[in-house]
Amino acid sequence: MTTALIADDEEAPREQLLAALRSTWPALRVVAVAANGVDAWDNFLEHEPEVCFLDIRMPGLSGIDVARRIGAQAAVVFATAYGDHALAAFEAGAVDYLLKPVDAERLAQTVARLKLRLAPAAPAPDPAALQALLAQLSAQARRPPPLAVLQASMGREVRLIRTDDVVYFESDSRYTRIVFEGGDALIRTPLKELLAQLDEQQFWQVHRAVIVNHRHVAAAVRVDEGHMHLTLRGRPETLPVSRHFQGLFKGQ
Amino acid sequence: MPTTPRIDWSQLWYPGPKRAYTADEMARAGSDAPSPTLVVAAGVNFATVALVALQLAPAAHTARLTAALAALAVMGSVAARWLWWRPWRRPLLQAQLMVAAAMLLMTFGMRWRLPERADRESVALVLVIGSALLVAALWFLVVWRAQQIDARLREQAEREKAIEMARRLAAAQIEPHFLFNTLASVQHWVQSKDDRAAPLLAALTGYLRATLPLFDRALLPAGDELVAVQRYLEVMQARMGERLAWRLDIEPGLERTLLPPGLLLTLVENAVAHGVEPQLAGGEIVLTARRDGAAACFEVRDTGPGPSADLHDGVGLANARQRLALACGDAASLRLEPAPGGGCSARIQLPLHTQAP
Repeated sequence: MTTALIADDEEAPREQLLAALRSTWPALRVVAVAANGVDAWDNFLEHEPEVCFLDIRMPGLSGIDVARRIGAQAAVVFATAYGDHALAAFEAGAVDYLLKPVDAERLAQTVARLKLRLAPAAPAPDPAALQALLAQLSAQARRPPPLAVLQASMGREVRLIRTDDVVYFESDSRYTRIVFEGGDALIRTPLKELLAQLDEQQFWQVHRAVIVNHRHVAAAVRVDEGHMHLTLRGRPETLPVSRHFQGLFKGQ
Repeated sequence: MPTTPRIDWSQLWYPGPKRAYTADEMARAGSDAPSPTLVVAAGVNFATVALVALQLAPAAHTARLTAALAALAVMGSVAARWLWWRPWRRPLLQAQLMVAAAMLLMTFGMRWRLPERADRESVALVLVIGSALLVAALWFLVVWRAQQIDARLREQAEREKAIEMARRLAAAQIEPHFLFNTLASVQHWVQSKDDRAAPLLAALTGYLRATLPLFDRALLPAGDELVAVQRYLEVMQARMGERLAWRLDIEPGLERTLLPPGLLLTLVENAVAHGVEPQLAGGEIVLTARRDGAAACFEVRDTGPGPSADLHDGVGLANARQRLALACGDAASLRLEPAPGGGCSARIQLPLHTQAP
């Protein structure tokens, strides 16, 4: 049974797509429904759906940002109300797109294409070309500058922590633990939300619950097929690398 | 309103299209010369009729009749070309009278040379029939030509109306994204019989109704624009649910302040797009209008991340600034700055005396 994720920040279009999919593709199992890009990415990591329907304009991470992170790990279909961005570039079929409100006939076409792509014999899409396309689209978006300072309450003081000093972030139930040079602290911002505000070049997500400052990474160690961890410069602890992110460390 | 077709009796004694086109209308819709096909077809038809007529007439008068019919042909062609450029009933009547006069002249002219009464009658008959056909042909030509021009004028008017509508929509800068997203919600809620459909549709209609006429005037009372702003926020509210909170706080009397159209709407749209939509938790928009000494001050504040350091005006804002400067000169200002307590504050300040009566 094919699994899917739906993400849209507005309720009505989200529900509409869900209803349309139910009648067009009854065998599809929608495993997660997200109302923003941050949740969409987190849900992807948690449920590993095979198909992701992403609205392009979403708070937190845009649909394009989420698609870039997903890469070739799932089939992505963008949903948009109007032909924004150079969506025509996707006509080629690497990624499909739907116009909202979703029309049954067009959706049937998309579903047929998805089924072809998901068939075992289907040729894999070229991940490099896909990433190039998505990077191009994402470059057009305006985004706020990355977070430079974090504020953590520690007892009666509010500690200011420069992001440059952070070694890694770790999700700790409803909090995020910040491990930095000189100590650690807890903040209330969930890791998935923090992710969207950090500099992507500097901070690498390596696990659903871990983001690391790559300057502090010493080595990636493959333990066995499917298991990997990171060792850090001058620190004893190791950090797990989940399967989704092992592609970051493949040697040159 | 159904209208019962009435018989225009004047067409019996004064036939032809009543409407005389202006020079401008003729230039726009009737500047084309008669097509060669039409000229050739008319010529061949006339020649055929003339040949038949000559067969019927006594052989002895073939030469005379040929000359007379040729004269009719020349006159008909001149009249037709003349009427081509003025296809309405006054010129048509003039042309028809000329043809009739020429026909009478020729008929009487031949009477003198034909002593036999039977000959005279048959020649006269051919000429009368020929002229009658010519008169009818001219009438037909004028009616056809007038309909052609009418159709073209109608088509042009419709096209102009469509262009004008498009221009207004463009001036109103209604974002297609906004429109289609809203329609997507409306459609879903209609299909799923959700009670939110009707209020959302009403707000959208109100928004469009309030927005389209905004741009007809160079300046308009803030109150008019605030109606559009309110409808816009209602639409966004319906779509975004509790992620959007908003309120308008207008000091009485300031609704009469004259502003260039679209200014407040642009600021509110920007606040939603940059201050609320990108925020995971949503946000609040507050529009206030206050008297500040001799100035009126309109402020749109959001609870977003605030203006970024490398802020540059988008198209909407640049437009707004330009329109404000054009309308109020240096006395007015539009500033974007970080709001105390976070978020972005957009302030328009302008002299109080720009008030509608």
